[in-house]
Amino acid sequence: MSISSPPGNAIGPPKPSPVRPARTLVEAELVSSVAWLIHLRWIAGAGVLLATWLVGTVFNLGIPAGPLFTIGSGILIYNLIFYLAERRLTHASAPAEAYDRLAKWQVSLDWLAMTLLIHFSGGIESPAILFFIFHLIIASIFFPPRTAFAFAILAIGLISGIALMEFFGLLPHVTIVGYLETRLYLNGLYLTAMLIFFASTSLIAAYLASSIHERLRLREEEIVELSKSLQRATTRLQTLNNGARTVGSTLELSKVLNRLVKSTAEAMEVRACSIRLLDKSGQRLEPVAVFGLSQAYLEKGPVVAMSNPLAREVLAGKTINIPDAPNSPLIQYPEEARQEGISSMLSAPLIGKDQPLGILRAYAVEPDRFTPEDEAFLSAIAAQGSIAIENAMTYQTIEQLDEAKSQFIRMVTHELRSPVSVTQSLLRTLAAGYAGSVTEQQQDILNRTTRRVEFLQKLIDDLLDLAAGKTEVKALEAREPVDLAASLERVVKRFELSAQEKSLTLALYKETTGDSLVVMATMEGLDRVFDNLISNAVKYTRPGGLIKVTLRPMDGEANVMVEDTGIGIPEEAMLHLFEEFYRAPNAKAIEHEGTGLGLTIVKDIVTRFSGRIAVQSTPDVGTTFTVSFPLTRPEEI
Amino acid sequence: MDKKQILIVDDDPDQRLTLRLPLESAGYTISEATSSAEGLAKVKEVKPDLIILDVMMDTATAGFQLALDLHSPDPESEYKDFRRTPIIMLTAIHSTTPLRFTPDEDYLPVQTFIEKPVTPEGLLAKVQEILGDK
Repeated sequence: MSISSPPGNAIGPPKPSPVRPARTLVEAELVSSVAWLIHLRWIAGAGVLLATWLVGTVFNLGIPAGPLFTIGSGILIYNLIFYLAERRLTHASAPAEAYDRLAKWQVSLDWLAMTLLIHFSGGIESPAILFFIFHLIIASIFFPPRTAFAFAILAIGLISGIALMEFFGLLPHVTIVGYLETRLYLNGLYLTAMLIFFASTSLIAAYLASSIHERLRLREEEIVELSKSLQRATTRLQTLNNGARTVGSTLELSKVLNRLVKSTAEAMEVRACSIRLLDKSGQRLEPVAVFGLSQAYLEKGPVVAMSNPLAREVLAGKTINIPDAPNSPLIQYPEEARQEGISSMLSAPLIGKDQPLGILRAYAVEPDRFTPEDEAFLSAIAAQGSIAIENAMTYQTIEQLDEAKSQFIRMVTHELRSPVSVTQSLLRTLAAGYAGSVTEQQQDILNRTTRRVEFLQKLIDDLLDLAAGKTEVKALEAREPVDLAASLERVVKRFELSAQEKSLTLALYKETTGDSLVVMATMEGLDRVFDNLISNAVKYTRPGGLIKVTLRPMDGEANVMVEDTGIGIPEEAMLHLFEEFYRAPNAKAIEHEGTGLGLTIVKDIVTRFSGRIAVQSTPDVGTTFTVSFPLTRPEEI
Repeated sequence: MDKKQILIVDDDPDQRLTLRLPLESAGYTISEATSSAEGLAKVKEVKPDLIILDVMMDTATAGFQLALDLHSPDPESEYKDFRRTPIIMLTAIHSTTPLRFTPDEDYLPVQTFIEKPVTPEGLLAKVQEILGDK
């Protein structure tokens, strides 16, 4: 088992972006309120102008039209300045403080305009006094409660100032002719009552608006908090999802584990994460994947399941949260944990189908870092990781088995073939008379023995072929573009003599348009396929018969047909034709010897070269084998 | 004229026998070695006209190694006198094993290959062809 070092820092923490950090909700609200207020003020300014005109001309009341028109125009002019300023701030994505300053200017100028408006519309007698209430509400929205109250007191001061100065004759009172006949502004009782009510209304309005707004603000903060925790939950779900995909995407154990620890540590936002798996003895827990821990900490000493109280509990299936690792009696190496700067640990069991596999552990610098939510998360990751680990382990075992099989085949190649082939050579040497002359009967026995040994040799070769095809996945990589016609010519030539001896007509037809038909295969493999098919045709066709081999392109494939006018294949044999060691009864009757492996090998090789094989046969009429391979275009070579 | 000398390097005594009998009856003088090391020593001793070499001996490619040593192009090679001594190589490598050799692989300084099982007629034909005795 290998200890992985933490992966390289290819992906570091996100770099601070040149763009200003996102505004908080409160700031964002201020920014949008500034624009909203400017919007409203257009209406307010126009309203003052319109009201002045209406009251003066339609209702024919004696108001000081000049100053009131000036106030209305003034409002529109300074609003234009605010409008332009706001646009510049937005364009430059100015900080929230700039907007705050702009808001203060707006409120101040509004209050000045408001005070003037009240003075010119009758002072304490003016119905416009009520407008102050919504200005107070606006101030309460913009500013914290303390500032809102200060503005309320300022309003009270301004109104009282105007009323008292007019009362004492320090400021000329504007009388609206035709509106009020009584001179209320000189009535002390009215004045007192009005000011008391105005003051209390202002303060109550400021209080109510502030507290309602404050409550809204708190709720917004809650929402922000909530959306943050939702974000965290999403990240974790993504980690879980990635984990699930890791299970599917790779079967390489170390890759699976390394991805798991890294993404877990990142999703939980903790310092480190590790996986320890039980070794073959089922006793020692070896670190197999680590993220964020020092080599020194990993080499602190052996972790033996039986003598480590924490490991024992976790392997029994519990998720254990240790809020204070350096002082926990469950920890085997508390001092090392302290040196590593680890304060809390969370361990979840990795459990396979039949037995515990190991431990997934998260490490945090902060004490008492892990919440019940974290426990549930790590357990879920561990459950998923267990599947991945078990799959990868199974795959590893299969790969090792596969390698052992290949090894075995190589061994057999030498150990089994070599004595058989030497025996053959010895028999031939003897039969040829190099060791002295042999009698006729001895010769006969030698020939029989030679035939049997030859059969044995063929059987071994066939078995090796079959085993090689089944085990050597890598054989696929050895494929190369091969010309089908060349292979067919070679094999047909090989059988010319034996066909002649049996008075068979063996013919090769190449129905190609000039381009050679190239397929991804190996020369040996193709030769072996055609060798088997044509030798069967020769073997099972009676003298005088015909064997036709045709090569033609068809729908992006290359088709090779081997037709004979032979004994055919009985229907009941068709199903078993490609089974290992199967031989059709009529074939056995004709040829005593045969391994029953030829067609199995053919099918195996054809499949390896991404091809197909089909067979049609009528007993006593003939058999046609059709092999198709996908064509390789020249540009793919 | 002296009989031509053929060195057989093969660790299998039975195989050596099947090679020796037909060659002796064809009039060649045969010497034998049972390993690559012994083969190299015998080459200097008997100065053969032809070497018949088994590929798989102590290792799966021991024969190749011996052939490469003998035919090394290095002018300082201790076997430089035998650089032109022809070699016939015996192979038992089946077509589906990962090692694939064909005689035209030019990095192998070998005249020809004979695939096992060896037939006496095939062997004699190859030997006589190479030694120009046909």
